[in-house]
Amino acid sequence: MTAKLNLTLKVWRQVHAKAKGEFKTYKVHDISPDMSFLEMLDELNNELIRKGEEPVAFDHDCREGICGTCGMMINGQAHGPERLTTTCQLHMRKFKNGDTIVIEPWRARAFPVLRDLVVDRGSFDRIQQAGGYTSINVGNAPDGNSVPIPKTQADPAFASATCLGCGACVAACKNASAMLFVGAKVSQFALLPQGQPERAQRALSMVAQMDEEAFGNCTNTYECEAACPVGISVDNIARLNREYIRASVCSNVMP
Amino acid sequence: MNWLRKVLVSSIGKKVQMGISGLLLCGFLVAHLGGNLLLFVPDGGKAYNEYAHALHTQKLLLPVAEIGLVVLFAWHLLLALTTNKDNADARPVGYALQCSKQEPGPIAKPASSVMMATGAVVFLFLILHLADFRFELRNHGSEGEEPFAKAARLLKDPITCVGYIIGTLVLGYHVLHGFQSAFQSLGLNHPKYTPLIKQASFAFAILVGAGFASLPLWFGMISRH
Ligand code: HEM
Ligand code: FES
Repeated sequence: MTAKLNLTLKVWRQVHAKAKGEFKTYKVHDISPDMSFLEMLDELNNELIRKGEEPVAFDHDCREGICGTCGMMINGQAHGPERLTTTCQLHMRKFKNGDTIVIEPWRARAFPVLRDLVVDRGSFDRIQQAGGYTSINVGNAPDGNSVPIPKTQADPAFASATCLGCGACVAACKNASAMLFVGAKVSQFALLPQGQPERAQRALSMVAQMDEEAFGNCTNTYECEAACPVGISVDNIARLNREYIRASVCSNVMP
Repeated sequence: MNWLRKVLVSSIGKKVQMGISGLLLCGFLVAHLGGNLLLFVPDGGKAYNEYAHALHTQKLLLPVAEIGLVVLFAWHLLLALTTNKDNADARPVGYALQCSKQEPGPIAKPASSVMMATGAVVFLFLILHLADFRFELRNHGSEGEEPFAKAARLLKDPITCVGYIIGTLVLGYHVLHGFQSAFQSLGLNHPKYTPLIKQASFAFAILVGAGFASLPLWFGMISRH
């Protein structure tokens, strides 16, 4: 059995969106290395509730690495130190007894803090609503083989579609740019036959909404790719640029 | 034409212009370096003088090229300043702690995060360079001085010599990230060519840094010309 951990946590506390926040320091004791990071925060909250204090607000849902709700900055890294891992799937064995852990919310103008570690990622939803879908009525499900899609095309489309929309790319980017997210959401359709009819409009609308939300500009630093819990590649950003150029210069759709 | 304006001011539109202006500047660097390296031809400066005279007798092409370069630099600089401001505005409240999650690796990574700083050094170098060679504000030569003699004389000035070595090495660092980054900005990535472009970027950075810095190093510090 591995030894239990005693840790010092520096947690961002902010009562509501307009309030001035600050870091508060807490000690947690006897943390099992088998716990997830969120379970460790549950332990902290149980302790705070026992003492009659406000528990730390943080977002979470599936706790199995598929919903993308649980993002937070852990020691300056989106979703913590382990690559290809969401916060809920991060284990406490990645930390050492006596460690101090700094926990902050995502920081971006387009992700305003609502409370403590919870941010409003509605900007991602609005980008998605601007064109991240296909609106053609396809009727009944077609026969599986009637729309041939080569595996070399289907695989990258699927890889792009695995984006959780967690916001780690924005959080980790020095410019708070959302281009990895938008790149993935544009790519997942641009690569498939079903996405072709609205291909140009989609790229233009989603980029326009991304700019409207005031995300930053990509400077090809690639910190987003390293922070992404599902490994979305920066190839998606190049594809986004290509799709945008194609749509604005070569298509007859007006931006 | 409203669509064109929208495209040009969009985030990706600006990235694309940054890529195009950066690559055009890289093209200028190649031509400029090619001419400058003629200083090393061991013929007492004949080749370089001929080249310089041929250039200066272009009564139409030279002013057009000069204006083109001014526009190109201004365009690149303006885009740099506006995107930099957008990026700062996109995160009004920063982190208490922020660490990279990239594998600590090749030197090309830090270069990407200091583009504004390296660009600013290059800009200062550019001002010094124009003041020296184009406008001769600091050191005047005698009437009818040959181009080779002028270059050799100006590079002996200690401020010029050291400033140029720093400026050109920093320029190399700027294009180390910039050259390959421009391709990504233009959407030109490819499983076969992107690795080659990254290597070409490295080679280009060495060529630019070492190529340009060799001139003040040789004429300012080593040669007795
Ligand atoms: C001969 C001089 C220069 C050359 C050859 C050059 C080249 C480049 C290239 C190729 C890029 C990459 C474009 C892209 O990522 O799409 C770039 C980006 C950039 N340059 Fe320059 N540049 C020069 C001078 C300057 C100057 C004077 C500044 C002024 C501050 C500057 C600031 C920047 C900035 C901020 C970026 C953006 C970085 C990014 O988006 O990643 N550059 N440059
Ligand atoms: S809570 Fe769903 S991914 Fe972490």
